[in-house]
Amino acid sequence: MSMDEKPSVLSVENLAISIKMDEGLLMPVRGVNFKLYENETLGLVGESGCGKSLTCKSILSINEKKCNQTGTILFTDKNDKTINLLDLKFNSKDIRNIRGNSISMIFQEPMSAFSPLFTVGHQMAESVYLHITKDKKQAKDLVLSSLRKVGISDPEKRYTQYPHEFSGGMLQRALIAMALLCKPRILIADEPTTALDVTIQAQILDLLKQLQKDYGMAILYITHDLGTVAQMCDRVAVMYLGRVVETATVQEIFQNPLHPYTQGLIGSVHKIGRSKGRLFSIEGNVPLAMNLEDRCSFYDRCIHKDRNVCCNTEPQLTQVGDGHFIACYQPKAGKRSGV
Amino acid sequence: MQDNQTNTDVILKVEHLSKVFSSKKTHIRAVNDVSFTVGGGETVGIVGESGCGKTTLGRCIVRAHKATEGRILYRAGDGKEYDLQNIDKKSMQKIRKEVQMIFQDPYSSLDPRMTVFDIISEPLRANFKDMPKEQIELKVKEMAAKVGLNPSYLKRYPHAFSGGQRQRIGIARALVLYPRLIVCDEAVSALDVSVQAQVVNLLKDLQKEMNLTYLFISHDLSVVEHISDKVGVMYLGKMVEYAPSDKLFAKPFHPYSEALLSAVPIADPTVEMQRIPLTGEIPNPANAPSGCFFHTRCGYCKEVCEVQDVALVEKETSHFVACHLRDEISLQGIPMEV
Repeated sequence: MSMDEKPSVLSVENLAISIKMDEGLLMPVRGVNFKLYENETLGLVGESGCGKSLTCKSILSINEKKCNQTGTILFTDKNDKTINLLDLKFNSKDIRNIRGNSISMIFQEPMSAFSPLFTVGHQMAESVYLHITKDKKQAKDLVLSSLRKVGISDPEKRYTQYPHEFSGGMLQRALIAMALLCKPRILIADEPTTALDVTIQAQILDLLKQLQKDYGMAILYITHDLGTVAQMCDRVAVMYLGRVVETATVQEIFQNPLHPYTQGLIGSVHKIGRSKGRLFSIEGNVPLAMNLEDRCSFYDRCIHKDRNVCCNTEPQLTQVGDGHFIACYQPKAGKRSGV
Repeated sequence: MQDNQTNTDVILKVEHLSKVFSSKKTHIRAVNDVSFTVGGGETVGIVGESGCGKTTLGRCIVRAHKATEGRILYRAGDGKEYDLQNIDKKSMQKIRKEVQMIFQDPYSSLDPRMTVFDIISEPLRANFKDMPKEQIELKVKEMAAKVGLNPSYLKRYPHAFSGGQRQRIGIARALVLYPRLIVCDEAVSALDVSVQAQVVNLLKDLQKEMNLTYLFISHDLSVVEHISDKVGVMYLGKMVEYAPSDKLFAKPFHPYSEALLSAVPIADPTVEMQRIPLTGEIPNPANAPSGCFFHTRCGYCKEVCEVQDVALVEKETSHFVACHLRDEISLQGIPMEV
């Protein structure tokens, strides 16, 4: 298989996260498996509450303390050394060397990702001091060139400004510039454009693609917006209720989705210019990940459900094609776009 | 106040509406000389980037803001036409029952200390002070069932619901008075795609059932295209294009509409997107550019655009555009397949 030969920079295996609550044990992530290869963009897609943000936070060990994590997250660094990130303590020196250096993250809301109390330049230089140099002059130069790289005009002036003086799109650019300062191997982008307008969104996505080419990094792109996935990603992993239910190349996902959930997600996006009939919608809501029965987690909302087949145990990811894996007992081909 | 010349089908007519927010130093013209008409039973979409004044426009229409200039003519259920700008208190109370709003954020638009029943029944209690309790209960239950809320949930508080269900509560609250015109301010933007589809379908069903007119404000062009009959594109407080939805999306006449359409991500990896990049950022509305407001970012800009103001003109039947070069340039839309 060609897929396996490619070197992966990140390999998440059986990642599970549980949170003890008064009402019981909440399992927001229940066995996530995916691989991120060099220079590729993997889209992690799912509705809110499916555990995609928790998954990527656990890569950087920035989940809250109450989250109990099991499984392995293998990260391969520049020197081909592989380490399990989950073995590292959240405040250990090793993880701090990786965080913001070889793996960095762009957060969802640029407005709340920056502290309002410090200038943007000051906050950006922090990661340079930590990972590259203590020299102030050099740090400033690095920050300025990074700001220029993401297309911010007049970086000298912007360096001394506070976040409130930036517009949303500008701030998102600054956030990307900050994440790229140390030329990371992996960039985790957690819904980087949801807070932005379409025109700015298009600019930011183009910028990310360009920077990926220049720096040769892998991007883990987290979103619920399938439109941007089609434009950005090479491969897609669809998550539902704390598990990956389907992974495939982006062409395969859109042309031949096999899991009923993926089909529903694609069907519920209206495409401009298509007929304006009813949108296909997945009935019901995402259940709470607590006290789940041992059966297909999508059972209640699935339109192909079959009591005899689907209710035994939770289906595992199985291969159905070249690089195409799904977790479903009776996949049926066919896109559903409106009834 | 009755105006015999207007078409009886027109439910809302906005004429030269402007709203200026002033502080000591700056005057921000959030809505700038906007005119359009909405027919009964229609859905009119308003699109534009954040800060273009689309929310302010919606709020002026429900009279959450009082506009600075212009007229908002509303044809009420009794056939009379009212100018919402100059209206006496008593008539306004009547209009409030007919014009309702659905808000953007289902998390902050519901009072966390009220039960769902209290939230949905509040418009009834405020507008019909002597309505008996039993009748209120009946109406609330009926409306809850209509929007797909289980009536047994009415005793719960908003925190117990997901985003999509909260938005249903917000819709029930807006509909319980059986209004005629609803301003939906980004009603589905905060929701996940699959839930978005549920709520959009619900809004369409209710429109058919109750003969509602929607003013649908959103920045999401694909949802607007799906739900709207007519679409208005706003830029920096001005309406730059106003046309039937399929016309505008297939063949826009304004360069800004063209750029907006080209930026919509298409959920199909085989389509290579031809983006028309907009340079720079949206200018500060307190210090708007001269001439056509869009000339600083427009790829087709000519000399005339920088100096001369431009007004909305009917280029084709019911297709209005505000562009000096409307007859000179030919723009790309999104190919329609029906």
